[in-house]
Amino acid sequence: MSDRFAAGMLRAEIERLVDDRPEAGVFQVHRDAFISEAVFALEMQRIFEGTWIFLGLAPQIPETHDYFTTTVGRQPVVVMRDAEGTLGAFYNACRHRRAAVCPLERGNARVHVCKYHGWSYDSAGRNVGIKGVQHGAYAEGFVREDHGLMPLARFANYRGFLFGSANPDVPSIEEHLGDMRAFLDLVAEQSPNGFVCVPGNVGYEYRGNWKLQIENGVDAYHFSSTHPSYIGILNKRRAQGESGGSVYAGFSDAELFRATMTFPHGHNALYGSNPASEARALNAAMPALRQRLGEARAQWLMYTRNVTIYPNLQIAENASLQVRMLQPLAPDRTAMKTWCLAPHGEAPEALQLRIRQYEEFFNPSGLATPDDTVNYEDCQTGYRAGFDFQQGYLRGMGVRNPQRSAAVQALGIHPIAGTEGTFDLGDETVMHSPWREWKRLLLVGAK
Amino acid sequence: MIDPTQEVAQFLYREARFLDTRDWMAWLALFTEDAVFRVPAWKSEHDITTDPTRELSLIYCASRTRISERVQRALSGRSVASIPLPRTQHAVSNVMVTHTDASATVQANFTVHLFDLKKKDTRVFFGHSTYQLLRVADDWRIRDKTAVLANDYLPTLLDFYCV
Ligand code: FES
Ligand SMILES: [Fe+2]
Repeated sequence: MSDRFAAGMLRAEIERLVDDRPEAGVFQVHRDAFISEAVFALEMQRIFEGTWIFLGLAPQIPETHDYFTTTVGRQPVVVMRDAEGTLGAFYNACRHRRAAVCPLERGNARVHVCKYHGWSYDSAGRNVGIKGVQHGAYAEGFVREDHGLMPLARFANYRGFLFGSANPDVPSIEEHLGDMRAFLDLVAEQSPNGFVCVPGNVGYEYRGNWKLQIENGVDAYHFSSTHPSYIGILNKRRAQGESGGSVYAGFSDAELFRATMTFPHGHNALYGSNPASEARALNAAMPALRQRLGEARAQWLMYTRNVTIYPNLQIAENASLQVRMLQPLAPDRTAMKTWCLAPHGEAPEALQLRIRQYEEFFNPSGLATPDDTVNYEDCQTGYRAGFDFQQGYLRGMGVRNPQRSAAVQALGIHPIAGTEGTFDLGDETVMHSPWREWKRLLLVGAK
Repeated sequence: MIDPTQEVAQFLYREARFLDTRDWMAWLALFTEDAVFRVPAWKSEHDITTDPTRELSLIYCASRTRISERVQRALSGRSVASIPLPRTQHAVSNVMVTHTDASATVQANFTVHLFDLKKKDTRVFFGHSTYQLLRVADDWRIRDKTAVLANDYLPTLLDFYCV
């Protein structure tokens, strides 16, 4: 990967963007981190093309020869399942002159023929034909060269969650994920046969920086002020004798337990109780889950869990089970791709409860997410305001102890730090770990 | 005698007008109590989801009460995504009616221009809708409105006034 065209930001310039002095009670982020083109160029190189990136989900491509296309940073990528069922990730760029080889977002093809000059590749990425090779008067060396699709430098499948890196020089996926594997396990083990993606594409784009989504995913503080219209609808349903059909029915800051945790490599998590657990789609399956997984893991399944696997994957299991993939397009533009997951073979009533809550809460066409997203856009406008630092990372600074609750110990994870309290605490220190990783990655190779 | 296709088209124009003038109580009154309002999600480039019990919709409201919640939210002053509400303009065209005395199945195209007042930006939503209408006295009521949105890569958000 080439840094030749890097914006040439100096170490000191990057350092000052995140003012991180916990012993002095200081944590602040400079607005340039959200609006600078130079910073964005560095993020593309050193984060999105420099570390492990979430690519998508194995259940999107269950059959042999299935494929989906995506991007790693700015780079076009295709993930394919070959004739033997093995998954591979390649650049979606022909070796001849780089035209896209796989044209669809999702498709199935035994052989991919490049539409430009007709080179062809099988579903394992091997070149299986160069049009007119015998007439091409190629020099001798050409025949001996490999003409297969260029594999992405690194590719890994952790229980159906697919990751890739354009940079070969990254730790193993096990090391990168660390304790976050426990949170992926909690998704994967909800059925003995894993999970499925509920059919239906949801994609949207907002006019704000990608890190606004990273922050919001674990932001308990915003909920009651950003979503009163959603909470109001649920309360009204309840008052009229409906169950509300939502895990958030009867929401109240003071009564809900919330804990946060930070992990190495920029990951974090928030978990806690639900206002209305009976509205969880998993509820009906809980007796069986308790039996299969034990009380402690079953309890973890019932917790609301919002998880960030840095830098572009968030998993939220509360109103439903959502996977979000972030794709930064510009300092002020972010593409979002989202999936509703369900345990394989879920009972029809539970599945419907899951889908309806998903649509209402998580969809960009729902009753809650648009209010998050428009807030990001308003913040993006606010970064133009000429004061350098905001005050949004300080709730919970007074807690600062490692999170070693019984639940955390039962899951066998070791967060760096964390907080426990009610929803009222609205801890923001949980956002420090993504920012620290951000700075660490941007500083790699900085002069 | 009024041509029934003309009559149904007039009804759709009236619906569009209520949406654009934010006369949303009048818009709601066009629906039966058990009305379904749905914007299905796409499954692939050219396949749309068809079974909302097993597949995702962008919007799925299975009663007028559910539709009215969206209206109330938009008008509540407590949804930042709805402040200020955009200006919209619906164009309804290509109306095709399969008609019996008590009900009608209607196909129509829609193009909705939306002006986002905060961003000073115009967006377009387009697609086609299928309606199931029921005859009541000398008017119609919507029993089902399914709006298939062709451009489903959403600009920040989508709500009932966008289709
Ligand atoms: S670019 Fe693919 S064959 Fe030429
Ligand atoms: Fe939110």
